[in-house]
Amino acid sequence: MQVFNWLFRVPTGTAAVTAKDRMRSMLVADRLELPAGRLEVLEEELTAVVARYFDLEPETTRFDIQQIDRKAALTANFRLVRSKC
Amino acid sequence: MSGRVIVITSGKGGVGKTTASANIGVALANTGASVCLVDMDIGLRNLDILMGLENRVVYNLVDVVEERCKLRQALVKDKRMPNLSLLPAAQTRDKTAVNSDQMKKLCLELKAIFDFVLIDSPAGIESGFQNAVAGAEEAIVITTPEMSAVRDADRIIGLLEARKDEITQYRLVLNRIRPKMVANSDMMGVEDVLEILSIQLLGAVPEDEDIIISTNKGEPVSGTDNTKSGLAFRNIARRLRGEEVPFMDMNAKNDTWVTRIANFFNPVRV
Ligand SMILES: Nc1ncnc2c1ncn2[C@@H]1O[C@H](COP(=O)(O)OP(=O)(O)OP(=O)(O)O)[C@@H](O)[C@H]1O
Ligand SMILES: [Mg+2]
Repeated sequence: MQVFNWLFRVPTGTAAVTAKDRMRSMLVADRLELPAGRLEVLEEELTAVVARYFDLEPETTRFDIQQIDRKAALTANFRLVRSKC
Repeated sequence: MSGRVIVITSGKGGVGKTTASANIGVALANTGASVCLVDMDIGLRNLDILMGLENRVVYNLVDVVEERCKLRQALVKDKRMPNLSLLPAAQTRDKTAVNSDQMKKLCLELKAIFDFVLIDSPAGIESGFQNAVAGAEEAIVITTPEMSAVRDADRIIGLLEARKDEITQYRLVLNRIRPKMVANSDMMGVEDVLEILSIQLLGAVPEDEDIIISTNKGEPVSGTDNTKSGLAFRNIARRLRGEEVPFMDMNAKNDTWVTRIANFFNPVRV
């Protein structure tokens, strides 16, 4: 199953690094007013749409949310094997 | 004359708004500017205590707004610094005693008299916050490096962003930094918090017992001694006046060469 990359990642490392990681994902969710579980739904729907057009390498699909200034940017990365039609 | 109205705000309570207001006010006054400190924490009056002026309060902000006295009568002049005045909060009223329009009008009056009007705001994001920012055109956001305080600061930054027609500039003061813990990666440092919040730094203030001592004496540290926190607040005042003051190293001293090397690559600054 794909995961949103650093968002909701289980943090490791020092207390400072852990705090920073937790803060980042918390603030992305706060700023977007994003309810828990919403990204997982989006992830499934997006994958289903792309999968109608292409055979995918499902294990390599990646979703990222990055913070650019105070805005969030969503990136989806699908490895395409071949067109379906 | 038109002065600058700067609100000091935080979201989370107890992170140092009142301490910063008093210290920045004193430091600004010491640079020669005329300063008015406004206590907007109605019902929870504190700023008079930190300034050592609690025995001289006669009228308060609500009296001015409700026209029981003239503005000049309510202003408490600091005898140590004639160019520094305090407009105290009412202690027996609550946040609903004033509204945003009244605050805007009051701020207009104050900035016609003073170079700097510093507004100490209550914790939270409700009416008390809305009133405190109503007449301001700049903001100082205060937080400590703790997660809950940073989260609440982010919320405040969002609210300030939404008012960018009125609030033209906001900067961060990071308070209660413990350089040794930062050096040991036990807590977030200045760079970490700045990166998370994406906000400009106005200054960083170390955790300092002298703040407690100075509060007890009613003499803000920025005015009297050579403490690190006092210097940090003086630097903040100079930056507010437009001076470019380099961010100073405040790493823990007497450490091993290992932490010194670590500090070299990841310094803590005020
Ligand atoms: N840099 C510091 N070092 C040590 N103690 C500090 C420092 N800054 C603030 N304090 C202490 O923290 C406590 C809270 O500070 P302060 O009253 O300024 O916070 P506040 O944000 O105004 O609180 P409130 O939200 O209740 O108005 C005080 O006891 C103060 O002495
Ligand atoms: Mg306070």
